[in-house]
Amino acid sequence: MNAALGTAGVALALVSALGGAATVVVAQATGRRRVLRQVPSFVFLCALGAVVATVAMQRALITRDFSVGFVAENGSRSTSLPFTISTMWSALEGSILLWGLVLVGYVVAVARKFRDRLSDPLVAWAMLVLFLVVAFFFALMAGPANPFHTVADPPLDGPGPNPLLQDHLLMAFHPPMLYLGYVGFTVPFAFAVGALATGRVGEGWLVETRRWTLFAWGFLTIGIVLGAWWSYEVLGWGGYWAWDPVENASLLPWLTGTAYLHSVMVQERRGMLRVWNLSLLCATFSLTILGTFLTRSGVLDSVHAFSESAIGPLFLGFFALIVVVTLGLIGWRGDVLRAPGRIDSPLSREGAFLANNVLFTGFAFVVLFGTVFPLIAEALDDRRVSVGVPYFNRMSGPIGLALLFLMAVAPALPWRKASTETLSQRLLWPAWSGGAVLVACVVAGVRGVVPLVAFGLGAFAAAAAVRQVVLATRRHGWRGFVGRTNGGMIVHLGVVMIAVGLAASGSFAEQAEARLAPGETRRVHGHEVRFESFSESDADPSRLVRAAHLDVDGSALSPRLQRFPNASQELGKPAVRYGVGDTVYLALLEGPRASDDTILVRIIVQPMVAWLWVGGLVMVAGTALSAFPGRRRRGTDPTSADLVGSRPVGGRHSAAGDADDGGGAGDRPAGDLSPTGGGDRDPDAGDARQPVGAP
Amino acid sequence: MSRRLMWAILAVVVVVAVVVGAQGSGARTPDQRRQSIASGVRCPKCPGQSVLSSDAPSAEAIRDLIAADVAAGRSDDAIRNRLVARYGEDILLNPPRSGFAGLVWVIPVAAVVGAFGGLALAFRRWERQAPGGPSGRDRALVAAALADEADGIDDPHGEGSGR
Repeated sequence: MNAALGTAGVALALVSALGGAATVVVAQATGRRRVLRQVPSFVFLCALGAVVATVAMQRALITRDFSVGFVAENGSRSTSLPFTISTMWSALEGSILLWGLVLVGYVVAVARKFRDRLSDPLVAWAMLVLFLVVAFFFALMAGPANPFHTVADPPLDGPGPNPLLQDHLLMAFHPPMLYLGYVGFTVPFAFAVGALATGRVGEGWLVETRRWTLFAWGFLTIGIVLGAWWSYEVLGWGGYWAWDPVENASLLPWLTGTAYLHSVMVQERRGMLRVWNLSLLCATFSLTILGTFLTRSGVLDSVHAFSESAIGPLFLGFFALIVVVTLGLIGWRGDVLRAPGRIDSPLSREGAFLANNVLFTGFAFVVLFGTVFPLIAEALDDRRVSVGVPYFNRMSGPIGLALLFLMAVAPALPWRKASTETLSQRLLWPAWSGGAVLVACVVAGVRGVVPLVAFGLGAFAAAAAVRQVVLATRRHGWRGFVGRTNGGMIVHLGVVMIAVGLAASGSFAEQAEARLAPGETRRVHGHEVRFESFSESDADPSRLVRAAHLDVDGSALSPRLQRFPNASQELGKPAVRYGVGDTVYLALLEGPRASDDTILVRIIVQPMVAWLWVGGLVMVAGTALSAFPGRRRRGTDPTSADLVGSRPVGGRHSAAGDADDGGGAGDRPAGDLSPTGGGDRDPDAGDARQPVGAP
Repeated sequence: MSRRLMWAILAVVVVVAVVVGAQGSGARTPDQRRQSIASGVRCPKCPGQSVLSSDAPSAEAIRDLIAADVAAGRSDDAIRNRLVARYGEDILLNPPRSGFAGLVWVIPVAAVVGAFGGLALAFRRWERQAPGGPSGRDRALVAAALADEADGIDDPHGEGSGR
């Protein structure tokens, strides 16, 4: 029953996605715009199919319907309800179903937002792309990654999800957040393809998709931070980032997406970098697909054990198709994409954004190249090579420091051209803040060039961000916190917290393995850890829990060992005590020894780990603030030069794109109108609002 | 105090602080050496983990080897070489710096440096094309735009509509 329902749901979504795509093609080919009125019906049917399939899967999981293959392989009677629900995304087929559901959710949102403009060719093309992507994912579920295949002889009980995945509630949130991020980039990608296909490559589509991109980026950020947090709380080695292929796969689109969020401002402001922005967006979307290929195909070793399946080549083919199509479109529109204007000086906001882009895309290249290099070496050199944590740390360290420096300097740079006088005035006290923190750290006994430079630059960048927000609030009151530039500064503060947390916890961790008898104390980095007692419990039907009760500086911590029915060995569950400074992390390695009742426990003391999670929260808050419109820009203020050559001058290329519901130029958030203009004399501020090319 | 002086003082302060901070905090303890070596060695049985972070028996065995070598007074490099001789080159998480595998170090650095070089060239080119007066083509465009404005003034959506 559940299997039949689910299969029907998948089929319905697949067929209606194909139907929707065909409708758009027919409308475009024959010019019969009225046909496009059918698009919402296809979207509705798609959504119905996806919801039916998901409900069927959840129903099968919750009612323990082991006749469904996915449930027989991943469900179990002893799993508690929250983890039964999250079982859906604990294995390959179910995670594709979640992907499909989220994707359809985005399509519904797009169809609703643009319901009055479905006959606009740009929107129609975007809908076509969205339908095709939906069709790809549901075709996977109809074929090689079918979550609803039936088992002829259903077992009485299943093994349950991987024990690591039913150990922490974060697992219920981390994958959906990550997918909201991953999948969300499909929307701006679809509009980018639409812009290329219709030739309306001006700023209209950018402005339309600005918030969609921010939304996706924000959720990708949450997903990555939650994943790191989960890894820290569960895996027991005191780390949060291991440069594992699956982690790298989530970082890659985040890096290119971050580059895009910055460079897009150059295009909105000056009309430049059109090819570059389109390429970044297409790269971001294709990297989500490539990452899925790398992690689901089994070509790379990873701790995230997704079962191998036949979908690998399909993802690779889809990736290749995306790359070929987008490169072809960009090449075809090359002449139209060439933007007028030039960047006046490297010492300008535009120059800083370009440097930012080089660093972020370089970072992405390092991560991608390092991740796939073992494959390259094996194919071309016939040698096995490991590319692991030390490599990535060494390569990303300098890039991270350079980004911190840029983050400190760039907010003070005006558009077009900065004079050294302006810079010297604006940066003096932020730089001194950095210097003061550096001196304070040295006096406090911190040693090591890399962490010291990171702390100093972090303080510099934080002061630069605070300065912007202070100036903006002084000028606009509470509105100084919202809008793109000001919200962006809050994001910067979160990034600084994370950078400082990474540098501190990575450089100054202290680790010890201690064998403790009851009542015995061990001192690690100034923290007293005393072993009090040991207990065993089978109160939870899904696991046998053995816990050591320790006292850390007066508070109780209980790291555990847990035995799950489906696992061969006991799995540890560490206990963590966060602090503003040190975090104490206990992982139980062995229970009481028969001879003397001593336990073996790993004690890790790391400074500033909590800053990572708080920093992530601050980044998300900042992202939300930047999604709000700032002060309204007057509609008459030109923001960029027009597309020359393809159409008459006059801003018409974006007219249709901007014609609706306040998404257009008049509504363009003006947070980027340089809040510094209030506090500083900005010799270039007036100039910057002139059309490009004005003398 | 003049701003220039403040910057100069800051530069001196930063240089002094970094130089003082760069002084090592003494020799590493055997424990720290063991951990730093183990963090760079791949666990043979558990993909993606180092022997420092893994609790698998094979990882424990390698940790014991490292501990014994450290106690025997061997240098870090000697210990790594012994592990490579025993388990093969890919036991080290840091790829080798020579041979084909050395490319993993060279290519990304070359790419980033090259990209910055390209950016510098682009800026020089932009600088050279200093904006002259409007060209004939520019004038034609302006004329076309003005003509367009005259007969298209009722366009409700064009820029400048003040919407």
